[in-house]
This record gives sequence, C-alpha cells and structure tokens, in this order.
Amino acid sequence: MTVLRPPGAVAALQAALAAEDAACWGYGVAGAHLAGSLRDAAVRDWTGHNEARDALAGMIAARGAAPVAASAFYRLPFPVHDTGSAMALAAYLEDGVTRAYLGIVAVADRRLRRFGALAMQGAAQRAAFWRGSTEAFPGLTGP
Amino acid sequence: MLLGTAAALPLLLGTAGCRSQDLFAGPDPLAGPPRPAPGVTTLRAVIAAERDLIGLYRSAAGGRPAGARELAALLSQHEQHLTRLRARLIVPPGSAPGAGAAGAAGAKRNSPGRAPAAVSIARLRAAEQGSAASLVQRLATVEPSLAQLFASIAACHATHASALSALGNRGG
Repeated sequence: MTVLRPPGAVAALQAALAAEDAACWGYGVAGAHLAGSLRDAAVRDWTGHNEARDALAGMIAARGAAPVAASAFYRLPFPVHDTGSAMALAAYLEDGVTRAYLGIVAVADRRLRRFGALAMQGAAQRAAFWRGSTEAFPGLTGP
Repeated sequence: MLLGTAAALPLLLGTAGCRSQDLFAGPDPLAGPPRPAPGVTTLRAVIAAERDLIGLYRSAAGGRPAGARELAALLSQHEQHLTRLRARLIVPPGSAPGAGAAGAAGAKRNSPGRAPAAVSIARLRAAEQGSAASLVQRLATVEPSLAQLFASIAACHATHASALSALGNRGG
C-alpha cells in the first residue's frame, strides 16, 4: 500500500500565492468590463487578493524560501468582452483560489490548515457572489 | 519445558484473575469491539451536525412560500454533504449504527401531530455560521483528505450564510 505524504507547507503556500497572483491579474481584466457596484466589488476583491498575496509571500519568506514570482501574462480561460463574461471570469478566478487554499488544508501544520480553511471560505463566498449561486463542494473536484 | 508452560497458561490466567491483554500486546479479542479511532468519532459528530442542519431546513421550508426555491437548493447541498460524509464512514458488520447509519431521510423531522417549530432565516444563518466554525475546529485533527472535505463543506456553509443574509434582507 502506498502511503501518501501530506504536501509540504511551502509548496502549498507557493501554489496559493500563484493563484492569488493570477487573481490579481484577472480582476484587472474583469474590472475593465464592469461598472457601478459590480466594478466596486471587483476593486474590493482585487485589493483583497493583493493583500493576500503579500501575506502569503511573507509566510513563504518566513520559512526560508523565495516566493514564486508572478507571471507577466496569463491566458484567459475564455473571451472576456462584457459584464457577463467578466463576472464569469471573477468566479473562475475565485474557484482557482479556493482550490489552491484547499491544498494548504492538507498540510500537517494545524495553524496552516485553519488558515487555509478560512481563506477558502472567503474565496468561496466571492465565487458565489460572482456566479450568483452556491456550490456543494467548493474547491473539490470529483467524488 | 515450553510445552509445559503453554499448557499451564490457562490455569495461571484463571487463578491470577488476569485478562489476556495483560500478557499479550495488541488488541484483545475478548474485550469486545475496539474503541473507534478519534477520526471516526469526529466524523460521526460531523454527520450528526449535518443531519441537524437538514432537519432545520426542512422545518424552515414548511409553510414558507417566499424563498422556498432558494432554501430547497441549499437543502439539496446539505443532503449531498451528508451522502459524501457517510461514504467516508466504514461501519463494520454488527456494529452499532451510530450517527452515520441514517441517511438524509433520517434527519430530524417534526413529530407527527405537532405544529412544526418555526425556524427563521436568521436561525438558519446562525446555524450555518456555527457549523462552518465547528468544522474548521475539527479539521485540525483528522487525516488530510478528510480535513479537505471538512474545509470544503465549511466553505459551502459560509456561502449559505451569505445567501441566507441576502434572502433575509429580501424578506424571504
């Protein structure tokens, strides 16, 4: 029987940082197609992802590792040209962030597990806002 | 010598009042079923809490036309949680049923002949928030994949709390 080892804390944090970087970039794209209260919401979420990115970089550095650098450009999962597709992009980004924090929940460190679980809740709530509906198992795929 | 010692062992156990576990390492087959592992106890508690939430939703949905569709959608997700949680609980044949045995249909219902207790949207929201917080507490001590399932369900409950806030603001 193969015993699966929990992922390392630094690797899980790096994955979350990469997801936050992608979210920061993606909200910039989505925000350009939003107006009014939706634009305000996008700016609020973009700010939150920037703060989370800085926090994660600090946590990684505190563990003696170098935070992974953000990409200069990301491939959009689908064309974004109006309000509907911009909101779908925001939900897509939050789904990615949720999945990344789920990885942190699997590490051995109890405090990090709690951190990951709480961050997941925020991302899942934002995803539900942009999607307009809730999902039964945020971050999990398959049975 | 060895044969003589082995033959005398039952006599020694009987006269000294010893239990077999005093002499042998490992589980004692004469002591009844072993205590469930901590993860099993935690999982059973989470299953029971999920069933309680389902019972609350069923009480809230009765006689509430406004918001019924939204509540039904949230209830359906709780039933999915219960199914997934129960799938993680392996109950040996002959064991006591425990919290995992009853399905969604076994969740608390109002007693027949009694008026259903009124469950407000605010109470549902508080229950969702409390459940999300409880799950985060519990996930610290279970194995990683179960911790992830708890975290995902907690995240769902957090989204439910937000949805219920919106529903309450609309007067649902």
